Amino acid sequence: MSNAAHESAARAAAVGALGQTIPTDAEVPPSDGTRWGMVIDLDRCTGCQACVVACQAENNIALNEEQRVLERRAKTWIRIERYWEGEFPNAKARFIPVLCQHCGNAPCETVCPVWATYHNPEGLNVQVYNRCIGTRFCANGCPYSVRYFNFWNPEWPESLNNQLNPDVTVRSKGIIEKCTFCVQRINRAQVDAKTDGREVADGEVQPACVQSCPTTALTFGDFNDEGSTVSRLAESERRYTLLENFGTDPGVVYLKKVDPHAEAPEGGHGHAPAEDRA
Amino acid sequence: MEYLRVLLPRVTRMQAAIVVAATVPVVLAGGGVLAALLFLMAAGGTVTPAPTQPIAFDHSVHAGQAGIACEFCHRGVDTQAAATIPSVEQCMFCHAAVAADKPQIQLLQAHWETNTPINWTRVHRVPDHVRFVHAPHVQAGLECSTCHGDIASMTEVRQVRSLAMGDCQDCHRESAAPLDCATCHK
Repeated sequence: MSNAAHESAARAAAVGALGQTIPTDAEVPPSDGTRWGMVIDLDRCTGCQACVVACQAENNIALNEEQRVLERRAKTWIRIERYWEGEFPNAKARFIPVLCQHCGNAPCETVCPVWATYHNPEGLNVQVYNRCIGTRFCANGCPYSVRYFNFWNPEWPESLNNQLNPDVTVRSKGIIEKCTFCVQRINRAQVDAKTDGREVADGEVQPACVQSCPTTALTFGDFNDEGSTVSRLAESERRYTLLENFGTDPGVVYLKKVDPHAEAPEGGHGHAPAEDRA
Repeated sequence: MEYLRVLLPRVTRMQAAIVVAATVPVVLAGGGVLAALLFLMAAGGTVTPAPTQPIAFDHSVHAGQAGIACEFCHRGVDTQAAATIPSVEQCMFCHAAVAADKPQIQLLQAHWETNTPINWTRVHRVPDHVRFVHAPHVQAGLECSTCHGDIASMTEVRQVRSLAMGDCQDCHRESAAPLDCATCHK
Protein backbone atom coordinates (compact mmCIF):
# COMPACT_ATOMS: atom_id res chain seq x y z
CA MET A 1 0.00 0.00 0.00
CA SER A 2 1.33 3.40 -0.82
CA ASN A 3 1.93 5.91 1.92
CA ALA A 4 -1.00 8.08 0.95
CA ALA A 5 -3.36 5.14 0.70
CA HIS A 6 -2.15 3.84 4.04
CA GLU A 7 -2.74 7.21 5.64
CA SER A 8 -6.21 7.66 4.28
CA ALA A 9 -7.13 4.14 5.36
CA ALA A 10 -5.81 4.84 8.84
CA ARG A 11 -7.79 8.07 8.95
CA ALA A 12 -10.97 6.33 7.88
CA ALA A 13 -10.42 3.81 10.67
CA ALA A 14 -9.84 6.59 13.16
CA VAL A 15 -13.04 8.32 12.10
CA GLY A 16 -14.98 5.12 12.58
CA ALA A 17 -13.55 4.36 15.99
CA LEU A 18 -13.80 7.74 17.59
CA GLY A 19 -16.78 9.18 15.79
CA GLN A 20 -14.80 12.29 14.96
CA THR A 21 -12.55 13.33 12.16
CA ILE A 22 -8.82 13.79 12.20
CA PRO A 23 -7.78 16.89 10.27
CA THR A 24 -6.30 16.26 6.86
CA ASP A 25 -3.04 17.92 5.92
CA ALA A 26 -4.92 20.68 4.15
CA GLU A 27 -6.67 21.66 7.38
CA VAL A 28 -3.52 21.82 9.44
CA PRO A 29 -2.27 25.38 9.60
CA PRO A 30 0.87 25.84 7.49
CA SER A 31 4.16 25.83 9.33
CA ASP A 32 6.65 28.61 9.00
CA GLY A 33 8.87 26.29 7.03
CA THR A 34 11.35 25.54 9.77
CA ARG A 35 13.44 22.42 9.60
CA TRP A 36 15.30 21.96 12.83
CA GLY A 37 18.59 20.17 12.52
CA MET A 38 22.03 19.77 13.94
CA VAL A 39 25.55 19.86 12.62
CA ILE A 40 28.14 17.83 14.51
CA ASP A 41 31.74 18.67 13.74
CA LEU A 42 33.70 15.51 14.53
CA ASP A 43 36.94 17.43 14.28
CA ARG A 44 35.91 19.30 17.39
CA CYS A 45 34.46 16.40 19.33
CA THR A 46 36.80 15.18 22.06
CA GLY A 47 34.48 12.48 23.34
CA CYS A 48 34.18 14.16 26.73
CA GLN A 49 30.56 13.05 27.26
CA ALA A 50 29.41 16.46 28.52
CA CYS A 51 26.50 16.27 26.05
CA VAL A 52 25.48 12.90 27.43
CA VAL A 53 25.39 14.18 31.00
CA ALA A 54 23.58 17.38 30.02
CA CYS A 55 20.97 15.41 28.10
CA GLN A 56 20.48 13.05 31.01
CA ALA A 57 19.83 15.95 33.36
CA GLU A 58 17.67 17.99 31.01
CA ASN A 59 15.40 15.21 29.90
CA ASN A 60 14.74 13.29 33.12
CA ILE A 61 16.46 10.19 31.80
CA ALA A 62 16.62 7.42 34.34
CA LEU A 63 19.93 6.52 35.95
CA ASN A 64 21.92 3.92 34.09
CA GLU A 65 23.13 1.60 36.77
CA GLU A 66 25.80 -0.96 36.05
CA GLN A 67 23.35 -3.82 35.72
CA ARG A 68 21.29 -1.86 33.18
CA VAL A 69 24.35 -1.27 31.07
CA LEU A 70 25.35 -4.93 31.23
CA GLU A 71 21.85 -5.89 30.12
CA ARG A 72 22.21 -3.42 27.24
CA ARG A 73 19.14 -1.64 28.47
CA ALA A 74 20.80 1.62 29.44
CA LYS A 75 19.21 4.78 28.09
CA THR A 76 21.23 7.63 26.66
CA TRP A 77 19.38 9.79 24.16
CA ILE A 78 22.77 10.88 22.90
CA ARG A 79 25.71 8.52 23.13
CA ILE A 80 29.34 8.79 22.12
CA GLU A 81 30.37 5.94 19.91
CA ARG A 82 34.09 5.28 20.08
CA TYR A 83 36.10 3.66 17.33
CA TRP A 84 39.76 2.80 17.13
CA GLU A 85 41.67 3.56 13.99
CA GLY A 86 45.02 1.95 13.29
CA GLU A 87 47.04 -0.51 15.36
CA PHE A 88 48.84 0.05 18.62
CA PRO A 89 51.01 2.08 19.17
CA ASN A 90 49.56 4.27 16.43
CA ALA A 91 45.93 3.68 17.38
CA LYS A 92 43.69 6.72 17.30
CA ALA A 93 40.39 7.14 19.08
CA ARG A 94 37.53 8.40 16.98
CA PHE A 95 34.29 9.68 18.49
CA ILE A 96 30.86 10.03 16.96
CA PRO A 97 27.99 11.43 19.04
CA VAL A 98 24.87 9.58 17.93
CA LEU A 99 21.42 10.88 18.72
CA CYS A 100 18.03 10.64 17.03
CA GLN A 101 18.67 11.79 13.48
CA HIS A 102 15.15 13.22 13.11
CA CYS A 103 15.02 11.67 9.66
CA GLY A 104 12.96 13.37 7.00
CA ASN A 105 12.10 9.90 5.77
CA ALA A 106 12.04 8.05 9.06
CA PRO A 107 11.73 4.27 9.18
CA CYS A 108 10.36 4.47 12.73
CA GLU A 109 7.36 6.61 11.85
CA THR A 110 5.74 4.36 9.29
CA VAL A 111 5.74 1.29 11.53
CA CYS A 112 3.99 2.77 14.55
CA PRO A 113 0.48 1.30 14.68
CA VAL A 114 -0.88 4.06 16.89
CA TRP A 115 0.83 7.14 15.45
CA ALA A 116 2.72 7.72 18.66
CA THR A 117 5.66 8.79 16.58
CA TYR A 118 5.24 11.12 13.63
CA HIS A 119 6.99 13.88 11.76
CA ASN A 120 5.90 17.35 12.68
CA PRO A 121 5.89 20.33 10.28
CA GLU A 122 9.13 21.63 11.78
CA GLY A 123 11.12 18.55 10.91
CA LEU A 124 11.03 16.99 14.35
CA ASN A 125 10.49 13.30 14.81
CA VAL A 126 8.06 13.51 17.70
CA GLN A 127 7.29 10.82 20.23
CA VAL A 128 3.93 11.21 21.95
CA TYR A 129 4.50 9.27 25.14
CA ASN A 130 0.95 8.82 26.31
CA ARG A 131 -0.06 7.47 22.94
CA CYS A 132 2.74 4.88 22.81
CA ILE A 133 1.67 1.31 23.56
CA GLY A 134 5.16 -0.15 23.57
CA THR A 135 5.22 -2.37 20.50
CA ARG A 136 8.88 -1.39 19.98
CA PHE A 137 8.43 -1.64 16.21
CA CYS A 138 10.02 1.79 15.90
CA ALA A 139 13.08 0.77 17.90
CA ASN A 140 13.50 -2.24 15.65
CA GLY A 141 13.05 -0.09 12.59
CA CYS A 142 15.58 2.53 13.60
CA PRO A 143 18.92 1.92 11.87
CA TYR A 144 20.69 4.23 14.33
CA SER A 145 19.47 2.43 17.49
CA VAL A 146 18.53 5.65 19.18
CA ARG A 147 15.11 4.67 20.47
CA TYR A 148 15.03 3.38 24.00
CA PHE A 149 12.41 1.26 25.66
CA ASN A 150 11.45 1.73 29.29
CA PHE A 151 11.78 -1.72 30.78
CA TRP A 152 11.26 -0.27 34.25
CA ASN A 153 9.66 2.70 35.87
CA PRO A 154 12.44 5.20 36.37
CA GLU A 155 13.70 5.73 39.88
CA TRP A 156 15.84 8.41 41.38
CA PRO A 157 17.33 8.68 44.84
CA GLU A 158 15.16 10.83 47.08
CA SER A 159 17.76 13.58 47.01
CA LEU A 160 17.41 13.94 43.23
CA ASN A 161 13.63 14.36 43.13
CA ASN A 162 13.86 18.11 42.89
CA GLN A 163 16.30 18.04 39.99
CA LEU A 164 13.66 16.69 37.60
CA ASN A 165 12.85 19.04 34.76
CA PRO A 166 9.20 20.06 35.02
CA ASP A 167 9.09 20.77 31.29
CA VAL A 168 9.74 17.14 30.42
CA THR A 169 7.51 14.16 31.14
CA VAL A 170 8.87 11.42 33.33
CA ARG A 171 8.34 8.41 31.13
CA SER A 172 6.78 5.35 32.69
CA LYS A 173 7.38 1.67 32.10
CA GLY A 174 6.40 0.18 28.76
CA ILE A 175 6.93 3.05 26.36
CA ILE A 176 9.61 4.19 23.95
CA GLU A 177 11.55 7.39 24.46
CA LYS A 178 14.20 9.17 22.44
CA CYS A 179 15.92 12.46 21.72
CA THR A 180 13.44 15.28 21.10
CA PHE A 181 15.97 17.95 20.09
CA CYS A 182 14.86 19.40 23.45
CA VAL A 183 11.45 20.28 22.05
CA GLN A 184 10.61 21.98 25.35
CA ARG A 185 13.34 24.53 24.66
CA ILE A 186 12.15 25.02 21.10
CA ASN A 187 8.63 25.63 22.34
CA ARG A 188 9.80 28.03 24.98
CA ALA A 189 11.84 30.02 22.48
CA GLN A 190 8.88 30.15 20.12
CA VAL A 191 6.54 31.39 22.84
CA ASP A 192 9.10 33.98 23.93
CA ALA A 193 9.56 35.14 20.34
CA LYS A 194 5.83 35.38 19.82
CA THR A 195 5.45 37.37 23.04
CA ASP A 196 8.05 39.83 21.80
CA GLY A 197 6.49 39.87 18.33
CA ARG A 198 9.57 38.60 16.48
CA GLU A 199 10.94 35.49 14.83
CA VAL A 200 13.08 32.94 16.67
CA ALA A 201 16.67 34.09 16.12
CA ASP A 202 19.40 31.78 14.83
CA GLY A 203 21.17 30.23 17.80
CA GLU A 204 18.38 31.14 20.21
CA VAL A 205 17.34 27.51 20.60
CA GLN A 206 20.04 25.36 22.10
CA PRO A 207 19.35 21.78 23.09
CA ALA A 208 21.11 20.72 26.28
CA CYS A 209 23.83 18.83 24.38
CA VAL A 210 24.64 21.84 22.20
CA GLN A 211 24.67 24.18 25.15
CA SER A 212 27.03 21.98 27.14
CA CYS A 213 29.54 21.14 24.41
CA PRO A 214 32.85 22.71 25.51
CA THR A 215 34.33 22.65 22.02
CA THR A 216 31.14 23.78 20.23
CA ALA A 217 31.22 20.64 18.14
CA LEU A 218 27.43 20.63 18.12
CA THR A 219 25.41 23.36 16.45
CA PHE A 220 21.63 23.54 16.28
CA GLY A 221 19.41 25.57 14.02
CA ASP A 222 17.07 25.81 11.06
CA PHE A 223 18.28 24.14 7.86
CA ASN A 224 15.59 25.94 5.86
CA ASP A 225 17.04 29.31 6.84
CA GLU A 226 19.86 29.88 4.38
CA GLY A 227 21.62 32.34 6.66
CA SER A 228 21.68 30.09 9.71
CA THR A 229 24.91 28.74 11.15
CA VAL A 230 23.86 25.14 10.55
CA SER A 231 23.10 25.84 6.89
CA ARG A 232 26.49 27.42 6.43
CA LEU A 233 28.31 24.60 8.24
CA ALA A 234 26.41 21.93 6.31
CA GLU A 235 27.83 23.27 3.06
CA SER A 236 31.29 22.08 4.09
CA GLU A 237 32.98 19.52 1.86
CA ARG A 238 33.51 17.44 4.99
CA ARG A 239 29.75 16.92 5.22
CA TYR A 240 28.21 13.46 5.49
CA THR A 241 25.20 11.85 7.11
CA LEU A 242 25.05 8.56 8.96
CA LEU A 243 24.07 5.52 6.87
CA GLU A 244 23.37 7.76 3.90
CA ASN A 245 22.60 4.80 1.64
CA PHE A 246 19.44 4.06 3.64
CA GLY A 247 17.86 7.21 2.27
CA THR A 248 16.52 8.33 5.63
CA ASP A 249 17.27 12.02 4.99
CA PRO A 250 18.66 12.68 8.48
CA GLY A 251 18.30 16.04 10.15
CA VAL A 252 21.74 15.63 11.72
CA VAL A 253 24.73 16.39 9.52
CA TYR A 254 28.22 15.26 10.46
CA LEU A 255 31.45 16.96 9.45
CA LYS A 256 34.29 14.55 8.83
CA LYS A 257 37.26 14.41 11.17
CA VAL A 258 40.34 16.18 9.88
CA ASP A 259 43.39 13.97 10.29
CA PRO A 260 46.61 15.96 9.95
CA HIS A 261 48.65 12.75 9.83
CA ALA A 262 46.61 11.10 7.11
CA GLU A 263 48.33 10.61 3.82
CA ALA A 264 47.04 12.92 1.16
CA PRO A 265 44.59 11.17 -1.14
CA GLU A 266 45.64 11.08 -4.74
CA GLY A 267 45.00 14.32 -6.50
CA GLY A 268 43.75 15.92 -3.31
CA HIS A 269 45.03 17.39 -0.11
CA GLY A 270 45.07 15.67 3.24
CA HIS A 271 44.10 18.69 5.23
CA ALA A 272 40.51 19.72 5.17
CA PRO A 273 40.34 23.48 4.99
CA ALA A 274 39.50 25.33 8.18
CA GLU A 275 37.03 27.45 6.32
CA ASP A 276 33.95 26.52 8.25
CA ARG A 277 33.89 28.86 11.12
CA ALA A 278 34.41 32.55 11.14
CA MET B 1 -30.53 11.22 26.70
CA GLU B 2 -31.30 14.75 25.58
CA TYR B 3 -31.71 15.93 29.15
CA LEU B 4 -28.09 15.05 29.80
CA ARG B 5 -26.92 17.09 26.85
CA VAL B 6 -28.90 20.05 28.17
CA LEU B 7 -27.49 19.63 31.66
CA LEU B 8 -23.95 19.10 30.43
CA PRO B 9 -23.38 20.48 26.98
CA ARG B 10 -19.92 18.95 26.75
CA VAL B 11 -20.96 15.37 27.47
CA THR B 12 -20.34 13.24 24.42
CA ARG B 13 -22.92 10.83 23.13
CA MET B 14 -20.86 7.87 24.31
CA GLN B 15 -20.50 9.28 27.81
CA ALA B 16 -24.21 9.99 27.93
CA ALA B 17 -24.96 6.44 26.89
CA ILE B 18 -22.68 5.11 29.61
CA VAL B 19 -24.36 7.35 32.16
CA VAL B 20 -27.83 6.22 31.16
CA ALA B 21 -26.83 2.56 31.01
CA ALA B 22 -25.12 2.76 34.36
CA THR B 23 -27.61 4.90 36.21
CA VAL B 24 -30.99 3.44 35.23
CA PRO B 25 -30.64 0.05 36.97
CA VAL B 26 -29.01 1.64 39.98
CA VAL B 27 -31.77 4.18 40.34
CA LEU B 28 -34.31 1.39 40.11
CA ALA B 29 -32.48 -0.35 42.93
CA GLY B 30 -32.84 2.79 44.96
CA GLY B 31 -29.14 3.72 45.00
CA GLY B 32 -29.56 7.39 44.26
CA VAL B 33 -26.21 8.39 45.73
CA LEU B 34 -24.34 5.74 43.75
CA ALA B 35 -26.05 6.88 40.59
CA ALA B 36 -24.91 10.42 41.21
CA LEU B 37 -21.34 9.20 41.71
CA LEU B 38 -21.40 7.14 38.52
CA PHE B 39 -22.81 10.14 36.75
CA LEU B 40 -19.90 12.27 37.90
CA MET B 41 -17.33 9.65 36.91
CA ALA B 42 -18.77 9.02 33.48
CA ALA B 43 -19.01 12.70 32.75
CA GLY B 44 -15.20 12.75 32.67
CA GLY B 45 -14.69 15.45 35.24
CA THR B 46 -17.01 17.90 33.53
CA VAL B 47 -18.85 18.66 36.74
CA THR B 48 -16.09 18.94 39.28
CA PRO B 49 -17.14 19.84 42.79
CA ALA B 50 -15.29 22.80 44.22
CA PRO B 51 -12.51 21.72 46.60
CA THR B 52 -12.42 23.13 50.10
CA GLN B 53 -9.76 25.78 50.46
CA PRO B 54 -7.79 26.62 53.62
CA ILE B 55 -9.20 30.16 53.49
CA ALA B 56 -12.68 30.75 52.10
CA PHE B 57 -11.49 33.08 49.38
CA ASP B 58 -14.47 34.44 47.47
CA HIS B 59 -13.87 35.29 43.82
CA SER B 60 -17.33 36.78 43.48
CA VAL B 61 -16.30 39.51 45.94
CA HIS B 62 -12.93 40.27 44.34
CA ALA B 63 -13.51 39.73 40.63
CA GLY B 64 -17.26 40.31 40.80
CA GLN B 65 -18.23 43.08 43.19
CA ALA B 66 -14.86 44.83 43.42
CA GLY B 67 -14.22 44.31 39.70
CA ILE B 68 -10.53 43.55 40.13
CA ALA B 69 -8.96 42.33 36.88
CA CYS B 70 -7.81 38.69 36.92
CA GLU B 71 -4.23 39.61 36.00
CA PHE B 72 -3.98 42.01 38.94
CA CYS B 73 -3.53 38.99 41.20
CA HIS B 74 -2.62 36.26 38.69
CA ARG B 75 0.36 38.20 37.43
CA GLY B 76 2.07 35.57 35.32
CA VAL B 77 -0.89 34.99 33.07
CA ASP B 78 0.14 37.14 30.11
CA THR B 79 3.87 36.49 30.23
CA GLN B 80 4.53 32.93 31.36
CA ALA B 81 3.28 29.39 31.61
CA ALA B 82 1.64 29.57 35.00
CA ALA B 83 -0.91 32.25 35.81
CA THR B 84 0.48 32.01 39.36
CA ILE B 85 -1.35 32.19 42.65
CA PRO B 86 -0.62 35.45 44.47
CA SER B 87 1.67 35.34 47.45
CA VAL B 88 0.50 36.15 50.97
CA GLU B 89 2.39 39.40 50.64
CA GLN B 90 0.36 40.32 47.61
CA CYS B 91 -2.90 39.68 49.46
CA MET B 92 -1.64 41.83 52.29
CA PHE B 93 -1.11 44.82 49.98
CA CYS B 94 -4.81 45.40 50.41
CA HIS B 95 -5.77 43.33 53.41
CA ALA B 96 -3.44 45.00 55.86
CA ALA B 97 -6.21 47.60 55.88
CA VAL B 98 -9.20 46.28 53.94
CA ALA B 99 -11.67 44.15 55.93
CA ALA B 100 -8.99 43.44 58.48
CA ASP B 101 -11.52 42.55 61.16
CA LYS B 102 -13.17 39.65 59.28
CA PRO B 103 -12.34 36.14 60.52
CA GLN B 104 -11.12 34.84 57.13
CA ILE B 105 -8.84 37.84 56.71
CA GLN B 106 -7.45 37.18 60.15
CA LEU B 107 -6.52 33.70 58.96
CA LEU B 108 -4.62 35.39 56.16
CA GLN B 109 -2.93 37.77 58.58
CA ALA B 110 -1.87 34.83 60.71
CA HIS B 111 -0.03 33.45 57.65
CA TRP B 112 1.55 36.84 57.14
CA GLU B 113 2.71 37.11 60.72
CA THR B 114 4.07 33.58 60.92
CA ASN B 115 5.66 33.92 57.48
CA THR B 116 4.04 30.73 56.16
CA PRO B 117 2.49 30.19 52.74
CA ILE B 118 -1.14 29.23 52.26
CA ASN B 119 -1.58 25.69 50.97
CA TRP B 120 -4.32 26.34 48.44
CA THR B 121 -5.92 23.27 46.93
CA ARG B 122 -5.29 23.17 43.22
CA VAL B 123 -8.45 23.29 41.11
CA HIS B 124 -7.24 23.07 37.51
CA ARG B 125 -4.55 20.60 36.59
CA VAL B 126 -3.65 19.15 33.22
CA PRO B 127 -1.78 15.82 33.08
CA ASP B 128 1.98 15.65 33.48
CA HIS B 129 2.52 14.95 29.77
CA VAL B 130 0.83 18.21 28.77
CA ARG B 131 2.60 21.51 28.38
CA PHE B 132 0.12 24.32 28.86
CA VAL B 133 1.35 27.90 28.67
CA HIS B 134 -1.08 30.66 29.61
CA ALA B 135 0.76 33.49 27.85
CA PRO B 136 -0.01 32.70 24.17
CA HIS B 137 -3.66 32.04 24.99
CA VAL B 138 -4.08 35.39 26.72
CA GLN B 139 -2.13 37.14 23.98
CA ALA B 140 -4.42 35.57 21.40
CA GLY B 141 -7.23 37.47 23.06
CA LEU B 142 -8.94 34.64 24.90
CA GLU B 143 -10.96 35.68 27.93
CA CYS B 144 -10.11 33.87 31.16
CA SER B 145 -13.76 32.81 31.34
CA THR B 146 -13.47 30.86 28.10
CA CYS B 147 -11.73 28.05 29.96
CA HIS B 148 -12.37 28.89 33.60
CA GLY B 149 -16.05 29.83 33.40
CA ASP B 150 -17.65 32.79 35.04
CA ILE B 151 -15.24 33.02 37.95
CA ALA B 152 -16.57 36.47 38.84
CA SER B 153 -19.80 34.89 40.04
CA MET B 154 -18.25 31.90 41.82
CA THR B 155 -18.06 31.83 45.59
CA GLU B 156 -15.87 28.74 45.43
CA VAL B 157 -13.88 28.11 42.28
CA ARG B 158 -14.56 24.87 40.49
CA GLN B 159 -13.55 23.47 37.13
CA VAL B 160 -16.29 23.97 34.56
CA ARG B 161 -14.70 22.51 31.43
CA SER B 162 -13.27 19.06 31.02
CA LEU B 163 -9.92 20.43 29.73
CA ALA B 164 -9.43 17.01 28.13
CA MET B 165 -7.56 16.78 24.83
CA GLY B 166 -10.70 16.93 22.71
CA ASP B 167 -11.80 20.03 24.55
CA CYS B 168 -8.53 21.80 23.72
CA GLN B 169 -8.57 20.53 20.16
CA ASP B 170 -12.09 21.75 19.42
CA CYS B 171 -11.02 25.27 20.23
CA HIS B 172 -7.64 24.97 18.48
CA ARG B 173 -9.41 23.78 15.35
CA GLU B 174 -11.96 26.59 15.39
CA SER B 175 -9.35 29.27 15.91
CA ALA B 176 -6.75 27.81 13.51
CA ALA B 177 -4.30 27.36 16.39
CA PRO B 178 -1.59 24.70 16.03
CA LEU B 179 -2.80 21.10 16.05
CA ASP B 180 0.66 19.55 16.06
CA CYS B 181 1.04 17.06 18.94
CA ALA B 182 4.35 18.60 20.00
CA THR B 183 2.63 21.92 20.65
CA CYS B 184 1.05 20.56 23.82
CA HIS B 185 2.54 17.12 24.48
CA LYS B 186 5.91 17.14 26.13
